[in-house]
Order: sequence, then C-alpha cells, then structure tokens
Amino acid sequence: MSDRSCEEIAGLLVDYADGQLSPEDSGKVAEHLAGCAACRAIVKGLHKSLELSNIIWQDNLEQAQNLPIPIAQTAAKRHWAGYAAVAAAILVFVTASVVRYLVRGPGEHGPSLAEIERRVIDEGTAAKLLAAAELLAGKSYANGLVKSQYRYIVDNYPHTQAAAKVKTLIQGDT
Amino acid sequence: MGAVCVDEVSKDCAARAEQRTGHRASQSNLLGVFSAELGRLKRIAAGMGLSSADCEDVLQDVSVQALKRAAEFQSRADCLRWLTTVTVNRCLMEHRRQRTFRRRAPEILRRRSAAETHPKPIEEWAIAAEELEIVRETLRQLDGHLLAPMVLSYFCELDSRGIAEILNLNQSTVRGRLREARMILARRLTQRGVEP
Repeated sequence: MSDRSCEEIAGLLVDYADGQLSPEDSGKVAEHLAGCAACRAIVKGLHKSLELSNIIWQDNLEQAQNLPIPIAQTAAKRHWAGYAAVAAAILVFVTASVVRYLVRGPGEHGPSLAEIERRVIDEGTAAKLLAAAELLAGKSYANGLVKSQYRYIVDNYPHTQAAAKVKTLIQGDT
Repeated sequence: MGAVCVDEVSKDCAARAEQRTGHRASQSNLLGVFSAELGRLKRIAAGMGLSSADCEDVLQDVSVQALKRAAEFQSRADCLRWLTTVTVNRCLMEHRRQRTFRRRAPEILRRRSAAETHPKPIEEWAIAAEELEIVRETLRQLDGHLLAPMVLSYFCELDSRGIAEILNLNQSTVRGRLREARMILARRLTQRGVEP
C-alpha cells in the first residue's frame, strides 16, 4: 500500500478505532487495513494504548478514592453554627432580662443592671465554650476533652442556657 | 415624613437581607455542587495523573476558591462547569511542574496482580510492565493541551461539546487534539518495538 494512501487514511484511524465513522468511511478504512500492516499496527496500538491508559488512570483513582472531603465547607458550616448559637443565647438572655427589668423596675427585687451584665457575660462565655465543645464532639480523639468541657460549663455557669443544654445532652447519653 | 423615612429604612434593610440570603443560597449551592460532584472532580485529578496527596491538595484549593467565588454563580450547570475548569487548570499546573504520573509501571502492576487470583507468568508480566511504562512516560510527557481533552473524553466520558465548554475551545479543536493525543500514544507504543 502506498504512503500516500496511508497519509490519507491516518486522519480517520482514531475515529475508526473508536467506532465513530460512518459505514461508508469505515468500509474504506477496513479495505485499506486489509492490505497495510503498518496501519493495522497503529490501530492495534490505538486500542492497546487506551487500554493501558485506563489502567493507569484507574490505579490513580483507586488511590484517590479514600481521600477525605476537603474541610472548607464543613468547617465553615460548623463555625457559623457555633457563632449563631452564641449570638442566639446572648440575644435571648438580654431580651428577657431587659423586659423583666423594665416591667418590674429597678427597686422591686429584680436584678440590678450590674447583675444583668454579669449574667450576659456568663451566658456568652458558656455558649462560646459549648460551641467549641460541639465542634469537637463526635471526634473520637477529643472525647475526654469534650466531657471535661461539659463538666466545666455545668460547674462554673450552672444558671446559663448552655449549662441546661449540656445537662440535656448528658442525660441523653446516659 | 417620619413614615417615609421608616419605609425607606425598612426597604433598605429588606434589600440587604435579601442580598445576604441570596448570597448564602448561591454559596450553599456552589458548595453543594462541589460536595455532590466530588467523585467526578477526583476522577479528573486522578486521570491527570496526580498522586492522592496532590489530589487532596488540589481539591482543597478548589473548595477554598469555591467559597471565595460562591456568590458569582446561579445555576447548577454554571457551578459545575466552573468547578471542573478550575480543577482541570489546577491539575495542569501540577502536570507542568512534572508532578504527575509518578507511580511507575511495576508498582501499578504489583498492586493489580495482588488482587488477581492467577498471577501472570514472569515473561508476560515483564512485557506488560514495559508496555505500561511506555504509556505512563508518554502521558507524563504529553503536553497539557492534549492531556486534558484526552482525560475528559476517555476517562471522564464527556462529549466533545462538554469538553469544549470546559476548556473554552471549539469542538473541532477538541476532536483534533484528541486524535493527535491518541496517535502520539499509539505510535510511541508501536515504535518502541513492543508487540501491540
């Protein structure tokens, strides 16, 4: 077979090997291949090289398959959840305290402004500690740390919403 | 006058809230697509020859970029196209730095043969290793503009239209590059004297 006809057919070999030629073009290529060992070798090479490429790709994929999910999304969600919990706890307590103060007035056995301020700070601190503990909750290596964090919140901020939530969590566990 | 002012302030607050909500929705959308299509992105990175450690780094970078650019995309198709393009470009960067296809053929074959019940005879194993090494070397040396369409087409099974959108090319260019890449691989295999 002449080099010229090989050159003409070379542009069709990939599509022929992939089965993407029209029946007419496919027939032309098959006819050429019947008399040309060099082009037959290329077609075999096309099949073989793709098969081997797939082995390499698949091997890489198997190695990559067990990769952990990148942390950007989960970490961001957890941080937002923690901040929201802190903000919500402070907001609820401040609203309740101010309404109570306004309704009762300062002299009628209600808490003083200094007392309200202290409780707001306690609520915020306890909620922050709880949010941090919740970030670590579920990680086996941090079980001890989370439990001691829970105990600290209950012992030091017993009248806060965070402490109440911790008690519920502990009861749920037991 | 006071009522007008209050109305304007309310509208302003409502617009800001809407903007914030929209931002969050598109952000969760992009991250949702990232999470749902992680398998596909891993497949691209693996096909481009990245080791698992480099693959993890690349996907980490992509997820961070997704967080930064979250507000720019509305439809799922846009999100996916963008994520795929960024992943391909990031992998090409690793390919240019010659950090791809580093695992040599004997190692790949050893792992495969460990899973086979009937191991190959030694001569057959040697030929398979030689052929695989030629293809590995060729993929490693293949220019990025040929490797990317090759991986997207034959490993990720995208059609030439999808590849053209991701690589910002026209379809005939994609098909031309696919033919060129395939012929380079086939010729290298036949020229090196291994029985194809």
